Amino acid sequence: MASGGSDSMKIALIPKEIREKTKSCFECGICTASCPMAELLQPHYNPRILLQKTLTEPEKTLNEDTLWLCAWCYKCYERCPQGLKPPEIFQLLKNEAVKRGFLEGFERAVSKIADVPLSVISLYTCFHPERANISVEKVAEALQKAAIIEEQIPGKAEANQRKKIAIVGSGPAGLTAACELAKAGYPVTVFEALPQPGGMLGKSMPAYRLPRKALESEIQLLEDLGVNMRVNQKVGKDVSFEQLWRNGYKAVFVATGAHKSRRVGIEGEDTKGVVDALEFLWKINMKEKITLGRKVGIIGGGNVAVDAARTALEYGAREATILYRRSREEMPANPWEVNEAEEDGVKLEFLVAPSKIMVKDGKTTGLECIRMELGELDETGRRTPIPVEGSEFSVELDTVIVAIGEEPETSFLPREIELDRGRVAVNPITMETSMKGVFAGGDVVTGSATVIEAVLAGIRAASSINQYLTKLKLEGGAY
Amino acid sequence: MTEKEAEEAPRIGVYVCHCGLNIAGTVNCEAVARFAATLPNVAISKDDRYTCSDQGQELIKNDIKEHNLNRVVVASCSPRLHESTFRKACEDAGLNKYLFEMANIREQCSWVHIHDKEAATEKAKDLVRAAVAKVALLEPAIETEVPITRNALVIGGGVAGIQSALDLADTGYKVYLVEKEPSIGGRMAQIDKTFPTMDCSICILAPKMSDVGHHPNIVLLANSEVQEVKGYIGNFKAKVLKKPRYVTDECSACNDCTEVCPVTVPNEFDIGLATRRAIYTPFAQAVPSTYIIDRGICLNKEGIMACDKCIQACERKAIDFDMEPEPLELEVGTIIVATGAEVYDPSSLTNYGYTRYQNVITSLEFERLINAGGPSGGNLIRPSDRKIPESVAFIQCVGSRSERGNPYCSNVCCMNTIKDSLLIKEHWPDVEIHVFYVDIRAFGKGFEDLYTRAKEEGVIFTRGLPAEIVEDRKTHNLWLIGENTLQKELYKINVGMTILSIGIQPCHDSDTIQRLCTLSRTLDGFFMEAHPKLRPVDAPTGGIFLAGCAESPKDIKDSVTQASAAAARAGILMAQGKVSVEAITPKTIPENCQLCGLCARVCPYNAIAVDKERKLVEVAEAACAGCGTCGAECQFEALHMRHFTDAQIMSQIDALVEEAPDEKIIAFCCNWCAYAGADFAGVSRMQYPPNVRIIRTMCSGRVSPKFVEHALSRGVGAVLVAGCHPGDCHYINANIQTRKRVEKLWKKMDRLGVDKNRLQLLWASAAEGEKVASKAKEMQATLKKLTPEEVEKGKQAFAGS
Ligand SMILES: Cc1cc2nc3c(=O)[nH]c(=O)nc-3n(C[C@H](O)[C@H](O)[C@H](O)COP(=O)(O)OP(=O)(O)OC[C@H]3O[C@@H](n4cnc5c(N)ncnc54)[C@H](O)[C@@H]3O)c2cc1C
Ligand SMILES: Cc1cc2nc3c(=O)[nH]c(=O)nc-3n(C[C@H](O)[C@H](O)[C@H](O)COP(=O)(O)OP(=O)(O)OC[C@H]3O[C@@H](n4cnc5c(N)ncnc54)[C@H](O)[C@@H]3O)c2cc1C
Ligand code: SF4
Ligand code: SF4
Ligand code: SF4
Ligand code: SF4
Repeated sequence: MASGGSDSMKIALIPKEIREKTKSCFECGICTASCPMAELLQPHYNPRILLQKTLTEPEKTLNEDTLWLCAWCYKCYERCPQGLKPPEIFQLLKNEAVKRGFLEGFERAVSKIADVPLSVISLYTCFHPERANISVEKVAEALQKAAIIEEQIPGKAEANQRKKIAIVGSGPAGLTAACELAKAGYPVTVFEALPQPGGMLGKSMPAYRLPRKALESEIQLLEDLGVNMRVNQKVGKDVSFEQLWRNGYKAVFVATGAHKSRRVGIEGEDTKGVVDALEFLWKINMKEKITLGRKVGIIGGGNVAVDAARTALEYGAREATILYRRSREEMPANPWEVNEAEEDGVKLEFLVAPSKIMVKDGKTTGLECIRMELGELDETGRRTPIPVEGSEFSVELDTVIVAIGEEPETSFLPREIELDRGRVAVNPITMETSMKGVFAGGDVVTGSATVIEAVLAGIRAASSINQYLTKLKLEGGAY
Repeated sequence: MTEKEAEEAPRIGVYVCHCGLNIAGTVNCEAVARFAATLPNVAISKDDRYTCSDQGQELIKNDIKEHNLNRVVVASCSPRLHESTFRKACEDAGLNKYLFEMANIREQCSWVHIHDKEAATEKAKDLVRAAVAKVALLEPAIETEVPITRNALVIGGGVAGIQSALDLADTGYKVYLVEKEPSIGGRMAQIDKTFPTMDCSICILAPKMSDVGHHPNIVLLANSEVQEVKGYIGNFKAKVLKKPRYVTDECSACNDCTEVCPVTVPNEFDIGLATRRAIYTPFAQAVPSTYIIDRGICLNKEGIMACDKCIQACERKAIDFDMEPEPLELEVGTIIVATGAEVYDPSSLTNYGYTRYQNVITSLEFERLINAGGPSGGNLIRPSDRKIPESVAFIQCVGSRSERGNPYCSNVCCMNTIKDSLLIKEHWPDVEIHVFYVDIRAFGKGFEDLYTRAKEEGVIFTRGLPAEIVEDRKTHNLWLIGENTLQKELYKINVGMTILSIGIQPCHDSDTIQRLCTLSRTLDGFFMEAHPKLRPVDAPTGGIFLAGCAESPKDIKDSVTQASAAAARAGILMAQGKVSVEAITPKTIPENCQLCGLCARVCPYNAIAVDKERKLVEVAEAACAGCGTCGAECQFEALHMRHFTDAQIMSQIDALVEEAPDEKIIAFCCNWCAYAGADFAGVSRMQYPPNVRIIRTMCSGRVSPKFVEHALSRGVGAVLVAGCHPGDCHYINANIQTRKRVEKLWKKMDRLGVDKNRLQLLWASAAEGEKVASKAKEMQATLKKLTPEEVEKGKQAFAGS
């Protein structure tokens, strides 16, 4: 074909501005080296090469399975010197592939994902084929084809190791490590504080994202592998950390996530009608009855705020408004989720900060707010919001949901384990903590992040624990 | 030519230049020339391949004589490029040079409408018509000459400033060298060795510094600050504040005082890697060598003497706590700006852990670390345990070539790393060295050899930058995690120390110097030259020159080359001893003057005085810069702005809207920023709608409301007034008046029911071609929605203007 023809195709596939900006990629490789999927599917998945291909041979990428292997964690964007957003560029081509009926790439991708632990969960929570209009049925079909489910019933792994391993927390990080270590033949026990395993996936993640069946069957797979799942066992309460050693565990993996909701620190925060987002979502997931007012305000700008807002609408609120103190560009929430929430009817108010909960007769009646403007860049590279004097105003609300971030709860850990700004400090290569034999990973180390990062942390930890228990020197240095 | 001749009926010669294919490739030059021949007063009209060539100029000269021409129009490139060339040709043929006018059909026509040949040709015709209309009204003028003060001011005492100062002083001019730090020397004094020759940096710099200190023609003002610059080419007045050192020239640099001083702080010169006292000298070779007391940390505060240790220790009685800041007023003819640059601060790149990990340092810190005069006595040690690391890594392009840092290549960091790697190999051959890069830029004389040598010495070059540095908390070794993009493999490499090859960026306070000297800056923040190719060391403001890293990131050799060039350029001016001032100052018309004094109030230079007693308004020609703000303010036509008269500008407007006025945008652009920006759009071949017609004024402050009203009364689609950014005005702050006038016009349009979107105000710097182009596009979109009724409304509203 004449080059002119393919050129005009390129124009059709990716809008000009995005294409021009993408050309600033100077192939430093930082994205690939930051990408959890690149590490999990090494060397098959390489976002840098894929990005280049979208520029040079966009047509060819339409059939690539790699197009579907991005897990939307935005790690690449966080560090890309050019501020490029590979997941969003890939999305444009996915849309086109689906439009043209090219689904082979997707199907091949699903069978690749099958190589990743918790593959079904991550397919729903990370890869988001639905964003390219791939229906749930199509996903199920692809899963069937990839035969993930059959393949993954390997039966109980042969217990050829004697050293016992304790895993604290049954979120994706804990489950992944359990899976890998059980496969390697170790006796693994998972301690979970809640009545059901799954971590945030079961606790607060909305069911519209992750079908409960998918979670349950993954957990069943683990139990089939021989993992000992002990629910209602909170380490630090039902069993002390020290006791784990006494009970003969030779290594511990701490994967307790980030479940402590940050408080806004304003007057009236303890009034009835003010709830924290994790708890709100949890109650919904537990099918507990909740009383939502007509008008719900959600304070925060992350994914949890967005999920809470959408869920509130789903469960009877007439109006759900997200109040965020910076502007749309600064929102940490995935832009996709934000757009979808808006389509659902969620309202967004930017550059506002709450200053007081308004209370009448012990009930929440509204929120006093102040307008903000953006000032200088702070250390995270975002512009700091500063209050505009005299811009106070109030909004009427029946319920206020607080979703301004989650932090790990670490009081149950022994003192020897060093913390870094409230999170467990580890060597991110080996996941080793400052205490011998104790490893940590997932949200408890990173603060609230994503499933795929938790999975990767579980894999890294499992490999280090294996090295540690077989007395190999840890590759990646000590803590 | 005598005045009598000029008053004769105009006989205009028009020359339409092809500029090879630069213009002729888009504009039908023959058609434009044929069209010009039909215009009033045009005696002859020709098109020519290269009008600026000798032959082209000869043609004009011959025609002037042969056809008795008394006006000339050249339609070619920007007047900012060749006006002086053609004016000279006219002068050679005996025609007063003010009887010449240019039509810019290249930068503002053929280059920006490449794909629309027809519209470009029509536009070129319009522009020629306007030039012909204006030229007919031009008047001959004699330029006044002003003497040039034969002193120079050099701002910044890095290697560039030092070189400029020495060159000028050696030529015989008096030079004031102002340096804000206690010593001259700049970055070069901090560097250990210099690429590509691996000379010891301070060893080659120190003699030059000392020459500066001893030169009879140089007044060295260290620890000083330029606070104000007034005046114009040849006649600047600069206010400099010489801050007190609290140590007199009696100081013999014996160091007795520092030994007793009880206060210790990190030393800026060693970037905090070593310490100094409150009384100190920044480094051993400092010039002036006189010590200085840092009153910020000295125990003696505000008149309370809590410590006299240094006073006691000083045998020469050189310490004087009563020293006062000394304000100086310097009269200079030329200024060289050599304020250098700063380095990028990598702390915001959290993935590299700079400041969090002890063994991650910057390349500048490394220079101090490895320097024999530095904190470690020249030993390669790493900060965490002061041991020689077994391996080190360099990371390139930190803060350069990226959206997160600065967009440009910092020019010196590749070679600096290669130099540093060779230095390590020379003394510690067993140290393993990794260089992580994206591109190695080794383009200069001797550079590639050095690069090859580094590879031969075993330095390992890996393409692909680390995504993250992880510290091993026990050993403080560092893991570098990245992708080798040539091998398409992830790497995880353990090293003892990492050096971030940080980029160079404009000084954080360069906006002050920019304002003081009315300079322009390019988008990357460095000072802009008058022409990137042909006047690379001239600032756009006459009499001011640029040298060194202040203009762009560069190495020492280029800084010195540029410094000598700047000195030569300044020297040429001063050798001439005089400079002629353009005859664009106003003349008063006493009959019309009502003595209202509005003109005097808006003049940024206080060049107009109202003498109520003698019933006179007087213009001090030497002080007047010719911005024309007064002319725009006068309601009574009592100020005649020479070469930019009301009548001349009105005639341009009329000529431009003769056909299809409602489809056109008249843009008034100031010479320094907006017009230059439009030229830049042309040079960059940015494409924008061809219906924009630019009229050049010296300053946007010249744009009188009646010009805008007149254009609207003639049914023009839209009007743009464009000038320098507030604060960047080349006439101090004349553009404040521009804004006021446009705002008033908006109100008036509102009142009269005329769509005020039809008048737009734009601030665009000379580097912001893109802004000019996108404004044109935006206005084109408004034009499309314009109804004939609306046009008529505007015509009626401003009828008679
Ligand atoms: C509402 C919501 C929506 C989200 N949506 C997405 C999404 O769409 N995609 C995505 O990638 N990520 C999403 N996330 C983030 C994702 O859920 C987390 O990043 C991930 O679950 C972290 O895994 P983890 O294993 O580190 O911790 P968790 O999943 O938090 O699991 C930790 C577990 O440890 C248990 N535990 C805590 N302390 C103890 C103790 N002392 N003893 C025993 N057990 C203990 C907890 O009960 C919990 O079950 C969402 C998060 C929330 C809150
Ligand atoms: C880490 C590093 C290593 C380098 N290595 C090499 C090398 O090996 N070889 C090489 O050729 N080049 C090297 N360079 C480049 C070299 O440093 C520059 O080319 C050179 O210093 C430029 O000189 P300058 O005079 O323009 O600016 P500077 O050296 O920056 O000097 C500017 C001076 O102006 C003063 N100043 C600033 N603002 C004002 C003001 N408002 N009023 C008064 N004074 C002011 C400053 O205090 C300073 O003294 C290196 C640069 C860096 C950062
Ligand atoms: S990090 Fe950015 S610049 Fe580097 S290779 Fe990836 S997309 Fe390109
Ligand atoms: S978003 Fe995450 S998974 Fe996708 S390419 Fe970037 S780093 Fe990889
Ligand atoms: S007077 Fe100030 S400078 Fe002198 S020794 Fe004391 S503290 Fe130091
Ligand atoms: S000189 Fe080299 S290291 Fe410096 S910015 Fe340019 S390419 Fe990068």
